[in-house]
Amino acid sequence: MNNWVKFILIFLFLLVPASGCIEEFIPDVEETKEMIVVEGLVTDQNRTNKVKISKSLPIGRALARKPVRAAKVTIIDDLGFVTTLKETDPGIYSTDSTSFRGVVGRKYALRIESSGFIYETDYIEMKPVPPIDSLYWEKILITQSDNPAEIEEGCKIYLDTHDPNRKCFYFRWEYEETWEFWLPYQVPNNRCWVTEKSDRIMIKNASIYNQPKVTKFPVTFITNETDRLKVRYSILVKQYSLNADEYKFWEKIQNVSENVGSLYDVIPMAIKGNIRCTNKPSETVLGYFSVSAVTEKRIFIKDWFKGIPNFYWYCPTDTIFGRLPEEGRNVTWWVIEDGSSYRPPYWVTTIHRECADCTTRGTNIKPSFWP
Amino acid sequence: MILILLFPFSNFTIQSKENENITGMRFRNLILIAFFLIFYNASAQQNYLVDWNYEGQSFYDFILKAESKFPVKFFFREEWLKGITLSRYENKRYLNEILDTLLNGQGLFHYSDESGNIILTKYFAIKPLIEEKAAGESYIPGLEYEEEDETKGAGGNIVIDLGNPADRDKPGIVTISGYITDQHTREPVAGATVQIPKLSAGDISNSYGFYSLSVPRGSYSMKFSFIGMKEKTVDVNVYGSGELNIEMRSVLIPLKEALITAERNVTLQRFEVGLEKIDVNIFRLLPTAMGESDIMKSVLLLPGVHSVGEGSAGFNVRGGSADQNLILLYGAPVYNSSHFFGFFSAVNPDIIRDVALFKGGIPARYGGRLASVLDITSRDGNRIEFAGNAGISPVTTHFVLEGPIKKDTIFYIIAGRTTYSNWLLGMLQNRALRNSKASFHDINVRLAYDINRNNKIDLSSYYSYDSFQFNGDTTYQYQNNIIALRWRHFFTSRLFTSLTLNNSFYGYNVSSTRVSQEAFKLSHKINSTGLKADFNWYTGRNEFNFGAEMTEYNVRPGDYMPVGDSSLVIPNTIQRQRALEPSLWFEDKYTLTDYLSVNAGIRLTSFLAAGPQTIYLYNKGYEKGPSSVKDTLFYGKNSIYKVYGGPEIRLSVNIKTDTKSSVKLNYNHTKQYLHMLSNTTSISPTDIWKLSDYHLRPQTADQVAAGYYRLLHKNRIEASAEIYYKKIRDMADFKGGTEIIMNEFIEWDLINVEGKAYGIELMLKKTEGRVRYNIGYTYSRVLVRSTSSINEEIINDGKWFPANFDRPHDLILTFNYLFSRRYSFSATYNYSTGRPVTYPVATYTIGDIVIMQYSDRNKYRLPDYSRLDISLKVSGNLKAKKIANPHWIFSVYNVLGRQNVYSVFFRNDKNMVKGYKLSVFGRPIPTVSFNFDF
Repeated sequence: MNNWVKFILIFLFLLVPASGCIEEFIPDVEETKEMIVVEGLVTDQNRTNKVKISKSLPIGRALARKPVRAAKVTIIDDLGFVTTLKETDPGIYSTDSTSFRGVVGRKYALRIESSGFIYETDYIEMKPVPPIDSLYWEKILITQSDNPAEIEEGCKIYLDTHDPNRKCFYFRWEYEETWEFWLPYQVPNNRCWVTEKSDRIMIKNASIYNQPKVTKFPVTFITNETDRLKVRYSILVKQYSLNADEYKFWEKIQNVSENVGSLYDVIPMAIKGNIRCTNKPSETVLGYFSVSAVTEKRIFIKDWFKGIPNFYWYCPTDTIFGRLPEEGRNVTWWVIEDGSSYRPPYWVTTIHRECADCTTRGTNIKPSFWP
Repeated sequence: MILILLFPFSNFTIQSKENENITGMRFRNLILIAFFLIFYNASAQQNYLVDWNYEGQSFYDFILKAESKFPVKFFFREEWLKGITLSRYENKRYLNEILDTLLNGQGLFHYSDESGNIILTKYFAIKPLIEEKAAGESYIPGLEYEEEDETKGAGGNIVIDLGNPADRDKPGIVTISGYITDQHTREPVAGATVQIPKLSAGDISNSYGFYSLSVPRGSYSMKFSFIGMKEKTVDVNVYGSGELNIEMRSVLIPLKEALITAERNVTLQRFEVGLEKIDVNIFRLLPTAMGESDIMKSVLLLPGVHSVGEGSAGFNVRGGSADQNLILLYGAPVYNSSHFFGFFSAVNPDIIRDVALFKGGIPARYGGRLASVLDITSRDGNRIEFAGNAGISPVTTHFVLEGPIKKDTIFYIIAGRTTYSNWLLGMLQNRALRNSKASFHDINVRLAYDINRNNKIDLSSYYSYDSFQFNGDTTYQYQNNIIALRWRHFFTSRLFTSLTLNNSFYGYNVSSTRVSQEAFKLSHKINSTGLKADFNWYTGRNEFNFGAEMTEYNVRPGDYMPVGDSSLVIPNTIQRQRALEPSLWFEDKYTLTDYLSVNAGIRLTSFLAAGPQTIYLYNKGYEKGPSSVKDTLFYGKNSIYKVYGGPEIRLSVNIKTDTKSSVKLNYNHTKQYLHMLSNTTSISPTDIWKLSDYHLRPQTADQVAAGYYRLLHKNRIEASAEIYYKKIRDMADFKGGTEIIMNEFIEWDLINVEGKAYGIELMLKKTEGRVRYNIGYTYSRVLVRSTSSINEEIINDGKWFPANFDRPHDLILTFNYLFSRRYSFSATYNYSTGRPVTYPVATYTIGDIVIMQYSDRNKYRLPDYSRLDISLKVSGNLKAKKIANPHWIFSVYNVLGRQNVYSVFFRNDKNMVKGYKLSVFGRPIPTVSFNFDF
């Protein structure tokens, strides 16, 4: 939808060069009040469940967490068991993975006491979640051409799942991408791994179908703009069961958050989560307390994709013959090719540290799941 | 010189002196009557003795017999004679005596000249000037003419008698009516002003060019005026009801003669509070952003009309949403009135004859929308000779061709516009832009056939098409298609009907085939067919308008289809909607006294939603959704599953407080069964149309308005103040973040809201002279609130909040200076409060997802809007007879270069959510457009 606006604007700019403009703008918003943000997740996994409490940030401020410390956080189940969470990091409250684990079919509620306010949720039932049937990928042609050298390919990852028991109708997914990359130079750290988490909302409503079934849900599209597909790539997809309320919450957030403000966008609106302040109902509480069962699946992709460019073409900045100066070495410049055994000796150097040390982007410790 | 066309349905022309332009005469023998009238003296008729037995003979046979026996020739129209037979007249033996007796009471008059021509006239008698003066003096004291010499000369030549002079002493009120046509093109002149200054009485011609005035018997001077036409004054002796048809002559616009007032004190006479007429010629002079004069942009200059933003489609009238405006072209609704998402209007200005916007006081013949009716009357085309116009502006090129196929009988007008933007895009260096496409075109064709005096048919068609694609990806296309057939039948000259059959289609396609597995085509279509019979009957102090209308709607809300064999898209179709909307209306404009008139109308509408349809019923008191479904109902084809309807009252009272001022009061009830669902700020081409159904109730509005109008400064300046209060019920709003396209269960996401709007509109207008201006200031509010008690269906805690288009202060100034016959200068200035907007007030993250928390709906406002535009029109040559008549329009849009905020958006940029403002026309934009008439 947004394409229109962009397009029309581009078109107009073209007719009337530089008539339009985009400028940074800080709206005169009177609400400077910080709101409390609660992000909680209880799963059926044998892991620590965390509740993160922080303060919201005003617009135009760097996204740094402002933890809310020393809160009293408890999770209560429908049988009356109360689990108290410990503040393991500032603003992060955790369960003990040995004594607490969510159970499908049981209901959980969150209760927080902080600075005299009490925040509570209703009891939320943990819905079961089926396993991911398959996680698979397809090559996608990005640029078609008669000349094979110009063909560019990307990769699209899909997911299928279904619930034969007809219990789970709403799904949410998160993924974690990990890929290996090599620096094309003989440097000490030239083989690394990067991990990135999804920052998009991925949900699906399967309740409108006879059987909850998700077919070919597009998880992500990997373009040739990054080096994800260059060596080996892996994606871990976590599948969460949602109840209808949580699904609606994510759907609204999704519609409202994906680029807002032009005339053709959905009118934005404050979206309420499921946590409320019981002793001061007018207090806005942001965030969501999710109760979900989780299943996960990982795949690896190692294939030849056409048209993936060399991402290090810009690296060599100088070639030094004879004697290598020491001043600034490994501080402002780095050697990426050592030709000292040649006559005359030479060194290819770079001023880009990421060309000489892959740990600037990732880790050189091979992840445990990596083959 | 004067040209007066007498007789309702005859074609002969009375002319003076050198102009011998005698228009075609299709009835017997009648030639050059004008000359007889002017140069011959009357009462020279000889007495012919009728010696045959004429009893029982038809008048026609009698005439034939008389012509064979005596040296006389009759001039008449055959249909006048129908059913008239002679009976035995005692003691009447001479021809003129028999005619006197026979014609008395038939509304016919006879006139004989020296050479033996006997001219029959209907409703009025012809009297040569010399005789008339004598009669006039004995009858009514001399008239004092107030007009300037120029018109006096024209008016003084001929005095027209209406009615039978024998009735001169009868008491009571009689009616003068007739048709006004353009001498040059023979098109009816709608919106022309007819005035009798002596009585401060007046009327405005309707779309047929018909006017009607109720006056006491007496001698008057009648003034006919219209913007762009030469004013005309005619002296009449009114003895009884009669008809006076007038031909008016158009003048080249920027010339001196154009300094003619249109409205003047007729504003005082009008019934409708909140009727705005747009002057087609003036709007063409207004500055534009893209060099295209644009009717929608002119509408926005009217008080009480707003838009959500620069270049946005649609307009808001008195707190109504954009879909509450009925835009009629050829009598059919236009579902999308803009090209390029609002930067251009979809209706080609070349075909527009006149535009009326009813903001309140909506006549009963219009229905189906709450806020306003924008009735675009198109031109018929030149009936006499071939003519045309072509022009070029930075984005578009346009042309009009018009002329007769058979002179005065069959004529056409063809107008078209297209863009050459694809060609411009193709020349660019940027690959993304070079692979992009953006174009639109539209075509209007009208063919009109005057079968005879009483039957006229026209067939009109409109097609508009928009297409654009960005960088070879998703293609958006949309089109309007209207076809309308109209038959106008005149039972008598004062009872006429118009029968219209029209079809209007709007549809859009969004498609993408870039990734073949995902290739899809999404479409939405609405199609309506309407049959309308509209009757106008002018009788005495009453003007009746009544009729019936039937509209059938077909909506295909959404079809999502795979394209190509390799596409994996699962076809999906949202169930279509069908409905019938029958209506009946009756309205009477009744003149009680000279100072009080009432317009009372009722419109009965109903709405029948027809199957096939599957309806989900929900538990009351719960949010509509999958968990609250209680039952499912299935309706078969053509079974009616829901009926809405009721009466709509339209009432206006006009009280003339003195000759210079009047007060008007008005109450309106309107209903709307067709809704445009838009969850975006501005209307967009992919908004969907939806009919009322089981869950979605029709919207209703009640408006009360009052206006005070006064003429100032020797009637040259028109001042008005109007106030209104409007209550709107059952509008549809949306839950936050709702998707409407391909939404199978739209009722889950709708929120019922009610609205209230009120405001005051002040206007000062000078429409004559070299310097003309228009100052309009509006203070208005429009507030809405959700009515539901279910938590999820409440917006802003159920409190009143401003609607998206609530812009309290709005000042519009337009200024025209016609500083010579070749140059005219225009300027417009617009200031308004910024529109309400919902800003994010905080950000937070869940996992790695950055989420913005928004304020209450529409809690904030964009910065205020202010813009000044200027334009200069230069006409190439003043010779009217020149083959081509070129003119240039130079305009500068946004002279002040103010960066008005078009929109504000927020995005996560390097771990920080930042706001950005975007202005579209952030600096002055000069354009030149060139046009020529031929």
